[in-house]
Amino acid sequence: MNTLSEKPIHDRVTRRDFLRTAGVGVAGASLGTMLAARQAPAQLRGTSLRILQWSHFVPAYDAWFDKSAKEWGEKNGVRVRVDHIPHLEVPARIAAEFAAGAGHDLIEFAGLILTGLYYKSLVDLTDLSERIGKKWGGWIPAAGPISTVEGRSYAIPNFYILIPLLWRKDLFEKHNLRPPDTWEACRVAARTLKPKGHPTGMQFSHCNDANHNWRALWYSFGGRETDPSGQNILVDSKETREALRFAKALFDEGMTPEVFSWDDASDNRYQASGVACWIHDAISAYRTTEDTNPPVFQHTYIGLAPAGPGGKRVNVGEPTAYAIWKFSKNQQAAREFLIHLTDNWKEAMVASRGYNMPLLKDGYKKPMPVIGTDPKMQVLQDFPDLMAFPGYPGPYTTPIQEVTVTFVPADMFTLVARGQSPDEAVKWAMGEYRRVYAKHKRA
Amino acid sequence: MTASPNGGEPEGGARAAAVPIAGRAGVRAWWRTPTARRLAFGYTLLSPAILYVALLVGAPFLFSLYLAVSDASVGDPFAEFVWLENFKAAWESPTFWIALRNSILVTVVAAIFKSLLGTTLAFLLLQPFRGKKLIRGLVVIPFTVPSAVSVLGWKWMYDSQFSVVNWALNRVGLISAYGTEGWPIWLGQPHLALAAIIAVNVWRSFPFTAIVLLAGFTAVPQEVIDAAKVDGTTFMQRFRFLVIPMIAPILFVGLLFDTVFTLSDISVVLLLTNGGPGNATQILPTLAYQIGILAGALGRGAAISLFLFPLLLPAMILLLRNLKRREW
Repeated sequence: MNTLSEKPIHDRVTRRDFLRTAGVGVAGASLGTMLAARQAPAQLRGTSLRILQWSHFVPAYDAWFDKSAKEWGEKNGVRVRVDHIPHLEVPARIAAEFAAGAGHDLIEFAGLILTGLYYKSLVDLTDLSERIGKKWGGWIPAAGPISTVEGRSYAIPNFYILIPLLWRKDLFEKHNLRPPDTWEACRVAARTLKPKGHPTGMQFSHCNDANHNWRALWYSFGGRETDPSGQNILVDSKETREALRFAKALFDEGMTPEVFSWDDASDNRYQASGVACWIHDAISAYRTTEDTNPPVFQHTYIGLAPAGPGGKRVNVGEPTAYAIWKFSKNQQAAREFLIHLTDNWKEAMVASRGYNMPLLKDGYKKPMPVIGTDPKMQVLQDFPDLMAFPGYPGPYTTPIQEVTVTFVPADMFTLVARGQSPDEAVKWAMGEYRRVYAKHKRA
Repeated sequence: MTASPNGGEPEGGARAAAVPIAGRAGVRAWWRTPTARRLAFGYTLLSPAILYVALLVGAPFLFSLYLAVSDASVGDPFAEFVWLENFKAAWESPTFWIALRNSILVTVVAAIFKSLLGTTLAFLLLQPFRGKKLIRGLVVIPFTVPSAVSVLGWKWMYDSQFSVVNWALNRVGLISAYGTEGWPIWLGQPHLALAAIIAVNVWRSFPFTAIVLLAGFTAVPQEVIDAAKVDGTTFMQRFRFLVIPMIAPILFVGLLFDTVFTLSDISVVLLLTNGGPGNATQILPTLAYQIGILAGALGRGAAISLFLFPLLLPAMILLLRNLKRREW
């Protein structure tokens, strides 16, 4: 006998269940219709949408974004206003909007992912995320940790900035060096070319590049920051010590002390000046070299994320994601704009000169826009499965955000480069991680 | 009723007891007395200033105290009282102690250099020379240019590869070439980085010190100086025993402002080193910003920034008491 039929009908379908099911059905149907029509419903007409985001490193992208947003607004009768601010000011601005309970409708997390910090004040976008994912072949694995908290999506990932290896093919060939496809090959090249006036450089300073460069090396050596739950710290390991020892050797043999003073743009200039034999940086360095030093650019090639001793390749990039405040008065327009934005990821990638890497799987169908047609950039199409973000393999949690903004992993590598033993550096870092985690647990 | 011995009138005491006090002629309610009225008028005039201080200084200070004893976060509208947990957390962090040490070091060393350079500049500007007005206008440029612009200029001058400072030093033979051990990495070596930060702070603020001193020097009557000269005093004696005591109130106010500005200045460190390399140049404001805003732990950020308060309070009390004594 069917047990369900034994229950009275009001027990099986409560009024709340009915309303919830009906609401989801109506929302789903209207969203489906909108997706099919690619046009927002009429009730949006006369409303306004305010968007807060960073000033992109590629100004042409901002110009495209503003134009696209304006056109979408005109088509749907929505007044759209886009405010661009420097990426370092984004967290403070978002904190101010949270405190005031007012501000923009749609906010962008850039570099620092604040989903875990603000999720209680953000609109649950699980349905939207699933629909967008379904439409574009699903999200790449790295998209989850930046947008989900306790299984729900509170942000829609937009793109990430890739950090590949840029190397000088002419210098490598001249000295019979093999392409830098492993960290060991990178070290041999740096050791060989430093005496010839071409050292390498990765920032041992307080900047974003230091945060992701050393994490990439660390993870490639098998190091892990937390467990998949993100609750347990796994910094103290033999893999971490191996990575630290390697970093020390790389610094001693192949770098000059100027890396202790570098900011995010210093390695771009280093590459563009023709001094560096290789650097580990975003393709902005590739573009800077293209624009400022064509002879060096001619010999600058892009490499896949170097493999660690066990052949593992991990690349740590800078993600971006959009979220909607619960206090937003125009959540529907914000949702529909996000659909419009993800529908136009190809145009965005072209406008950003290949800088914006998609977080949707269909984005990796070859040839990809811009990078798929440039022989030197085609290797970037193979990056999606190598991507990771801080906290790997766990999610980007609020304690991870704190150790990132206070540069704990970068400083752990800096301590070793400056002469401390890996054991001392790991002990120091573990102390910092534990303090941060303990404070968050108490809170 | 008791009859008086000289005419049947009641005695004074009995008369007074018979008349209600409020109804007595010539006795006013306390709020109608001239003193009360004067006080009321005075406080009415003062009230906008009191309101201003209470709203713009008192309220934020009390709010930061509340944050410092709570687990407030930028993403959570609810906060719980955690007593001194945030202060304890800061106390236990080695980075906090580096930041505290650097904050004091930068303030004290910069103040010494600003005093020396400011005094020298003020004396130079006292001298008569052609184009004095123009030079007086130009010296305030470091003080008036937005800090973001000027500090970014310094960042470029300290660049490890393209430093104009190093280029100049190399050209005069004081340092060796780029890429060698003898090429200073201004923002990459802990001591040099701190020195570079102090230098920018001094560059930005010593014109302010000079202007404060200049205002003081010009207020000293020339006759007093001339009389001291007639008495056979040396320049240093006049400066030490005459000028300094006379301009002390102005000096104290200048020092007060400068100490507060330097201790709370975040822009120079944030733009030049962001607290690196390692945490070698971390100061309390940058650490508070990183933890309070970027990491979102408002409570702990507020607690770290409040450590500036016990540093500043004794200095402020000392300076203000000294100033008050001299006013009498």
